[in-house]
Amino acid sequence: MKFRNVKLHLLVIPLWGFIMLKRSPLYPLHKKLGAKFTEFAGFEMPLQFTSIKEEHLTVRETVGLFDVSHMSNVWVTGREAEKLLSLTTIEDASRIKEERSQYTAILREDGTIIDDVIFLHIDKDRYMVIPNAGMDETVTSWLNEKAEEYNIDAEATNVSKDFVILAIQGPKSRDTLQKLTDVDLNTVGFFACRYANVSGEKCILSHTGYTGELGFELQVTPTDVAKHIFMDILEAGKEYNIKPIGLGARDTLRLEKCFLLAGNEFEGGHTPLEAMLSWAINWDHDFIGKEALIKQKEEGDYPRLTCLECIDKGIPRHGCEVEKNGEKIGVVSSGTMSPCLNKGIAMAYLNPGFQKEGLEVDIIIRGKPVKAKVVKPPFVKQDWLKTHKS
Amino acid sequence: MAEVRDDLKYTETHEWVKIRENIAVVGITDHAQSELTDIVYVELPEEGKEVKKGDELCTVESVKSVSEIYAPVSGKIVKVNKELEDTPEVINKSPYDDGWLVEIEVKDKNELDSLLDAEGYKKII
Repeated sequence: MKFRNVKLHLLVIPLWGFIMLKRSPLYPLHKKLGAKFTEFAGFEMPLQFTSIKEEHLTVRETVGLFDVSHMSNVWVTGREAEKLLSLTTIEDASRIKEERSQYTAILREDGTIIDDVIFLHIDKDRYMVIPNAGMDETVTSWLNEKAEEYNIDAEATNVSKDFVILAIQGPKSRDTLQKLTDVDLNTVGFFACRYANVSGEKCILSHTGYTGELGFELQVTPTDVAKHIFMDILEAGKEYNIKPIGLGARDTLRLEKCFLLAGNEFEGGHTPLEAMLSWAINWDHDFIGKEALIKQKEEGDYPRLTCLECIDKGIPRHGCEVEKNGEKIGVVSSGTMSPCLNKGIAMAYLNPGFQKEGLEVDIIIRGKPVKAKVVKPPFVKQDWLKTHKS
Repeated sequence: MAEVRDDLKYTETHEWVKIRENIAVVGITDHAQSELTDIVYVELPEEGKEVKKGDELCTVESVKSVSEIYAPVSGKIVKVNKELEDTPEVINKSPYDDGWLVEIEVKDKNELDSLLDAEGYKKII
């Protein structure tokens, strides 16, 4: 037998490779909790603690706790911080009031995505931007270059090393976290963010996540207080059978909800129009890449990220070709076995004209065609838990 | 600790072989299933197919990995474990019994000599 790990993100470097992998400040704790580790965008992070399937279902059914410190933290500050974010993202940052956050994307001039990020409007002239793992330097320098080029009074500072990021996700996440904070979490709306004391430590709390479930994320600094917060959350969630969750389940959870993974869905250069992100484009403001997007939209002839659910048995993986009547029509960017549906699922960039719901296509897995059909996102609907229980 | 059974033969690539007269029953070891974690898919070969020792025999997939299983001996595949198509997780639960993969009609019994015994296999895991 030969093990072949399926790539999670960006590049896969063997653990015995020459590149020194970064670790979360919580690495020793994960080790103690029995984690199996994986390489992910230059970080050695937990792949799983017990089982990917079990962890996945825990988040869908009750609550799970993730350490996502591999994600980056960049402060954007200054009198014209808002202007810089409006220029460099597809969002009009003036719409995002204090204590609100927004999912958006940073584009090159040609309209392709550099990274997708969430920015949190913490207070006046102060934003926390959360780029993907390993993207901290790229995003920070890009923002600073553009501030200089456009003469904008704002500055980006990479503070990724100073933060631990925790995500608490699942239907019981609010009940769990509520035990550790005075802030009434029912008043923290979807995508709201604010400072809050959690377990006695001042954190940035946001009602955000990457699982499609009710959930919250905590930006914790200094990092040495993160360990007791992590343990306190596990304790608080005990009555709901909370579990620590690794990146394996994080990937299957996000894919069931059709959330993008930077290394997979942006590989090779894709625009927000191609990557199912049209909804996130705010056309009423000027931003880098806008002209290219307008042109692409007018021409209309571009591949589109499309959701495929397998009809036959088989698990599509990143890089599998997709065919219709023996002709290549696209490539899978992400694929897995859905633990909730027990079926192979995939997102694939397919040529225009192949997006119609119900259309049957073939995904080529190890040389063999596996029948699949186009479905509407997300794969796992909001009422999954209800219908699954009854 | 992973279970290694004394009455089986092993390969360095984590397959096990049980000899019944001229039939070799093949599976993956307890150590291998635990490394792979949740097995969610098995692509089995056709019955009647001839394989050579070292050929790719079938593919086992977990959520995050795809692994090829190699033929530990040469011969004709006379039976495959069709139960695994619907319940691949049986390999995790019972790697040495219900989780067997294929039966091969052994062509050359001498090939069996190059397989590891339990002691030899324990040394490499």
